[in-house]
Amino acid sequence: MTEGRPTTRARSDEVYVVGCGMHPFGRDDTVTGMAMAERAVREALADAGVGWEDIGYAAGGSDVSGKPDTLVGRLGLTGVPFVNVQNGCATGASTVLAVANALRAGEASLGLAVGFDKHERGAFNVSAARYGLGDWYAESGMMLTTQFFALKTQRYLHEHGVSERALAMVAARAFRNGAQHPMAWRRKPLTEQEILDSPEVSPPLTQYMFCSPGQGAAALVLALGNRAFDLCERPVRLASLALRTRRFGSFEVFSPWLPPGPHRSPSVDAAEAVFRRADLRPADVRVAQLQDTDSGSELIHLAETGLCDHGEQEELLAAGDTDATGRIPVNTDGGCLAGGEPVGASGLRQFHEVVRQLQGRAPGAQVPGAPRVGFTHVYGAPGISACAVLTV
Amino acid sequence: MTTRLVAEDLFEGVDPMRLVGARCSGCHTVVFPRQDSCPRCADGAMSAHVLPVRGLVWSWTLQAFPPKPPYRPPAGGFQPYHVGYVDLGEVLVEARLEVPRREMRIGLPVRLTTMPAYHDEDGTEVLTFAFRPDPSPEEDR
Ligand SMILES: [Zn+2]
Repeated sequence: MTEGRPTTRARSDEVYVVGCGMHPFGRDDTVTGMAMAERAVREALADAGVGWEDIGYAAGGSDVSGKPDTLVGRLGLTGVPFVNVQNGCATGASTVLAVANALRAGEASLGLAVGFDKHERGAFNVSAARYGLGDWYAESGMMLTTQFFALKTQRYLHEHGVSERALAMVAARAFRNGAQHPMAWRRKPLTEQEILDSPEVSPPLTQYMFCSPGQGAAALVLALGNRAFDLCERPVRLASLALRTRRFGSFEVFSPWLPPGPHRSPSVDAAEAVFRRADLRPADVRVAQLQDTDSGSELIHLAETGLCDHGEQEELLAAGDTDATGRIPVNTDGGCLAGGEPVGASGLRQFHEVVRQLQGRAPGAQVPGAPRVGFTHVYGAPGISACAVLTV
Repeated sequence: MTTRLVAEDLFEGVDPMRLVGARCSGCHTVVFPRQDSCPRCADGAMSAHVLPVRGLVWSWTLQAFPPKPPYRPPAGGFQPYHVGYVDLGEVLVEARLEVPRREMRIGLPVRLTTMPAYHDEDGTEVLTFAFRPDPSPEEDR
């Protein structure tokens, strides 16, 4: 997609989501990553009312669970062009971008994006050399993602006068939403006090303020405008999608040093670009998905994406504004906190939820009042963010 | 007992020991540890740059659970420890913080020290850098 001024495209050049599928998130030792992906794809195809042989272009992403294009062995050897994507937390968004661009370029009129993963239990394993760092960094106990999220959150609360209770409110809302969602992993509501009292991992973050690596899969069928309206009663328009990497001065994981600041995140760049391109404002959003690797991340991303001002989060949360029934519903499916984080699948889970919300058929808590504008945001190492605006 | 540093190229001098990074001749960006190219501009040359020993806690947290390898626990076994970023003015450096929880706060004056990180198999004590509360933060920096 080109940057710059918004353009009005003919409907025939617009890309729409016409089908969604998802394998429940969580942990299930009896199913492989590839099998989950197959199920998500078949569901998405059925939802769109098309067959695998109708798909003219495909992209798939997984961090650790196999080469996505081998799915053709399960789905059918149709000769379809299939692109593999491995792009960290932005894997899902990158598959959507690849398919949408292929459709607009005339490669096909119908495409498929799929993401899946199945992770080991516990914190992600890391290697210092893989990040270009000396062994001393990991040996002396500083190479942990949980520390990074805690350090970033600690500083943010200090700079913007937000209390630790706000972190508990984020997690409580996530688990409340997850409890209502049939495909979420954590389905038990927890009180703010229970969340604050859970074991300290790295202050200000406690155990229940962190998501866990898990498993899951999600898939989308995308179509060009004219085809979309033939196939689907309520296609959801991909108004814009922007992917950004970090610039100098962003505060990222595994940084032995930082410049004095200010620290500008790639999330800010991606969000600004996606709203400009869609010719919409953050205030237009009626349902949002934000990367919530931990409570602090969601809190920070609320402001970095422009959905609220820095420091305003606590007030918003306390007023219920981010609840499904609120002014700006956030992570209505429970996000990563309730769903876990299968890296390759999370981004497409976000699309799945927002599409269902805009179609008025959310599997969990439905946002009332027929929302027209949805937003998705992912952020991850080593400083990458992708945002999308979806409309009906 | 013999001792060694966790990585020689992080340090300069013995008494006092200092951290050494690099500074860009073009944009004056200071990095740590040292590296040969500037992450900010294309035309600067990087040269070794000794970092200030005094600073302020910029952010902090606790490592409450034992990290997986390649983390190496100290001789007596894992004990929860503090880490944070210290604002040295020209750069923020991530470090172990030898600061008791009751004293810990953003803005706390701290100064450079060393601490035993772990022992090699032959018994050599391996030292890493850390920051501890600075009793005289107003002295010349
Ligand atoms: Zn430079």
